[in-house]
Amino acid sequence: MSAPLLSVRGLTARFRAGGREVTAVDDVSFDVGEGEVLGLVGESGSGKSVTLRSLLRLLPSGARVEGQALWQGRDLVAMPDARLRRVRGGAISMIFQEPMTALNPVLPVRVQIEESLRAHTALDRAGRRARARELLDLVGIPDAARRLDEYPHQFSGGMRQRAMIAIALASEPRLLLADEPTTALDVTIQDQILKLILDLKDRLGMSVVLVTHDLGVVAETCSRMAVMYAGRIVEQGGVREVFASPRHAYTLGLLGSVPRAGTERSALRSIEGTPPGLAAIPPGCAFNPRCAFATTVCREVRPDLSPRTPGHLAACHHSDRVAQASLAA
Amino acid sequence: MSTPEYLARRLLQLVPTLIAILVVVFALVRLLPGDPASAILGDRALDADVERINREYGFDRPIPVQFGIFVRQVLTGDLGDSTSLKVPVAQLIAERLPITMLLTLMAALISVALAVPLAFVAALCRDRLADGMIRGAFQVGLSMPVFYLGLILLTVFGARLGWFPVGGDGDGLLDLLYHLVLPAITLALSLAAVLMRNLRAAIIDVVDADYVTFARSKGLRGSLVLLRHVLRNALISTVALFGLSIGTLLGGAVVTETVFAIPGAGRLMVDSITGRDYPVVQGLTLALAVLVSLTFLLTDLLQAWLDPRIAR
Amino acid sequence: MTDAAHLEAAVAAGRPRRARPPGPLVWGGAILGLSLFLAAAPSLVAPYDPLAFDYGAILQPPSPAHPFGTDNFGRDVLSRVIHAYRIDMGIAVFATVVPFVLGTLVGAVVGYAGGLAETVFGRVVDAVITFPFLVLVIAIVSVLGPGLINMYIAVSLVGWVFYARIVASEVKVQKRLDYAEAGRAMGYTHARIVLRHLLPNAITPAIVYWMTDMALAILLGSSLGYLGLGAQPPAAEWGVQIAEGKNFMATAWWISVFPGAAIVVTGLGFSLLGDGLAALLRVRR
Repeated sequence: MSAPLLSVRGLTARFRAGGREVTAVDDVSFDVGEGEVLGLVGESGSGKSVTLRSLLRLLPSGARVEGQALWQGRDLVAMPDARLRRVRGGAISMIFQEPMTALNPVLPVRVQIEESLRAHTALDRAGRRARARELLDLVGIPDAARRLDEYPHQFSGGMRQRAMIAIALASEPRLLLADEPTTALDVTIQDQILKLILDLKDRLGMSVVLVTHDLGVVAETCSRMAVMYAGRIVEQGGVREVFASPRHAYTLGLLGSVPRAGTERSALRSIEGTPPGLAAIPPGCAFNPRCAFATTVCREVRPDLSPRTPGHLAACHHSDRVAQASLAA
Repeated sequence: MSTPEYLARRLLQLVPTLIAILVVVFALVRLLPGDPASAILGDRALDADVERINREYGFDRPIPVQFGIFVRQVLTGDLGDSTSLKVPVAQLIAERLPITMLLTLMAALISVALAVPLAFVAALCRDRLADGMIRGAFQVGLSMPVFYLGLILLTVFGARLGWFPVGGDGDGLLDLLYHLVLPAITLALSLAAVLMRNLRAAIIDVVDADYVTFARSKGLRGSLVLLRHVLRNALISTVALFGLSIGTLLGGAVVTETVFAIPGAGRLMVDSITGRDYPVVQGLTLALAVLVSLTFLLTDLLQAWLDPRIAR
Repeated sequence: MTDAAHLEAAVAAGRPRRARPPGPLVWGGAILGLSLFLAAAPSLVAPYDPLAFDYGAILQPPSPAHPFGTDNFGRDVLSRVIHAYRIDMGIAVFATVVPFVLGTLVGAVVGYAGGLAETVFGRVVDAVITFPFLVLVIAIVSVLGPGLINMYIAVSLVGWVFYARIVASEVKVQKRLDYAEAGRAMGYTHARIVLRHLLPNAITPAIVYWMTDMALAILLGSSLGYLGLGAQPPAAEWGVQIAEGKNFMATAWWISVFPGAAIVVTGLGFSLLGDGLAALLRVRR
């Protein structure tokens, strides 16, 4: 594999809240290759969205980000604000879960596309208008010329998500960060939007980091995946390898909840218990209270994320037992 | 719904409001204890005078008929004559009300000019020193009566330092504006406090909203994000509050004009009450209420312009 | 829920519950406790008779004998400020209690009944809010005649509308909740559902507003006193006192400045208490 497009090392995000500090993202490392779709999977609160936002330093004020995110030889975490602004929405764009809340309700879609073009291209007024129309065409919004002057509330849910994608693509990014882009949509529309993202990825030669809690989505769209739990990556590898032979008890539990073809996707609920709050992460392996494989060592020593087979990493004391269990099932 | 439709509907809503205003103003003098004729003439009025007044104003007719007469008079611009100044009330209002409107407008502009930047500073430095100081100062401003603040400003910046005139309305428009600076500041402070508090909370609500994060993710300048995405959304509720505060501002103008001896509608109101000049009190109450309802209309339109979800 | 929202909830849940009452509540309570005490027993604290002339001590600046100085009749300003607590705290209570009770009841009925009652009430609100409050009150006072009682009547005629509006909207929300439905299913009378079940839950925002309103009442009462339409001289009332001292601002500032400071401090007390209660009862304002 050639040098990765984005290389994240030891990314950590801390929040100060109520006089104490909590760690939402803890020592996360991963690479994104050219043209690759990386899935970032986990339950609500696992830190996957915060990881995504940390990359572009889009966290609320009071958050601290550490570690490295190397983008074309430069560290996004340490980059001066003015320089980072050129990367944001330029080479790296982001789309959000709720198109209703992520589009500004009081501005026409045209303004929201053109302001991005204005920030990143040398196009003049007429050029921006023409390009905005092209972008709506590109994401499959019919009657683009008229719809440009409409407001977000005049769009349906799926059309809103398409509009948001159009905005994110305005300056032809090389990397798209997608934060649960289909979760808020109806099932039929979900598939359309996923297809659209994959199609655009191929046409524009982008890479994608796709955050989702839906393993079905990962199976359909990603080449590699990283599973997050309580702010850390617990397993990472090729989608085929991880699905075939999970090496972390948590991933095994998640896979148990993947719906069979034809049934509706449901939330990940097959694992007993709920994920820990950030202020009360258990010592040792954070998953141990919910884990069927847990032993004393899991309650005391935090497992390192280390290779189990080439390119397949897991942070589990009992990854061999987990692998056997998955084969037996 | 299109913008013209919204405008038409909003104008139509003005009709019942104006009718209600007429009813209240009509009831003001007639339904309260004591008959209006002796209220106008004083307690020791002669019976003959009472009868004359009753005939003149139609107080001896049935109430609905009186209301009909009253509405017809108002619609033809006849608000009666001042009992003490012996001139038509409409003429008095036309002379005095513009000064009050100018004072109120200046105060409104000053309060917005104070509230918007300070709300930003307070919201963006939330729970830090600057925020605490701004909120503390405005909390005091909110508890400060208009006449007290006016008296202090008048003494310090008028009498002591001599920077501003100590009262009156001056000579010509420029001089009038100069004379209105201190009164307008006096009047502006409590509204600025109310607006600042509301806008600060609105900015805090909006600043971490998804659409603001999305705007930041597009690589826009910080100032553009704040003005176009944060301020515009935060202003929607503040504009509504601003509209609702106009009445308070006009009420404050009554007191301010008294403190600064400005011959506006407010001063006229207080003088008329002291002189038991009921036609003037009634006419002014009517004029001020109509002014407020027109301001509501304007702020509603402004809100609809800021927030397309309202009118469309 | 987004991850970020989840994060905030998680952080909030992990935060230790604060056992002590919030600062504004304590400060506001302390200021108002002291104010109530001064209103109840001014003579215990005031060094002089607030109405007694002393032509031997006219316009004296603050001194140990007269900490707030004396006015143009030689009256002790401190004693007048202290005695004024009785009238001004009285205004805060009596100008707001009728609007509070009446407005709450009307609001509960309107919010519960909905329909025509709500429409009619909406028109009344529209009409009342188009009149500048102070202008309407002084117009009514002008007809009734100056004085405190007439001021209470005037304020009550108008002020109930604001409470009714708050309670009506709150009751409307509450009546859709499960327990109100359950009450209807169990065959309770309308009066019982409103008074025993809806009102206790809907009343908290009205109580918070009451605190603000009492501060506003003091501002209004002292304004009328200043204009000569409220409490009448020689009564010790802050607005009256400020008016008495206005011609001496350049030479004897203390006559007006101290009563004004009393208004500001008392107003702060009410707004701190209101803020504290709002935080405690989780009322959004």
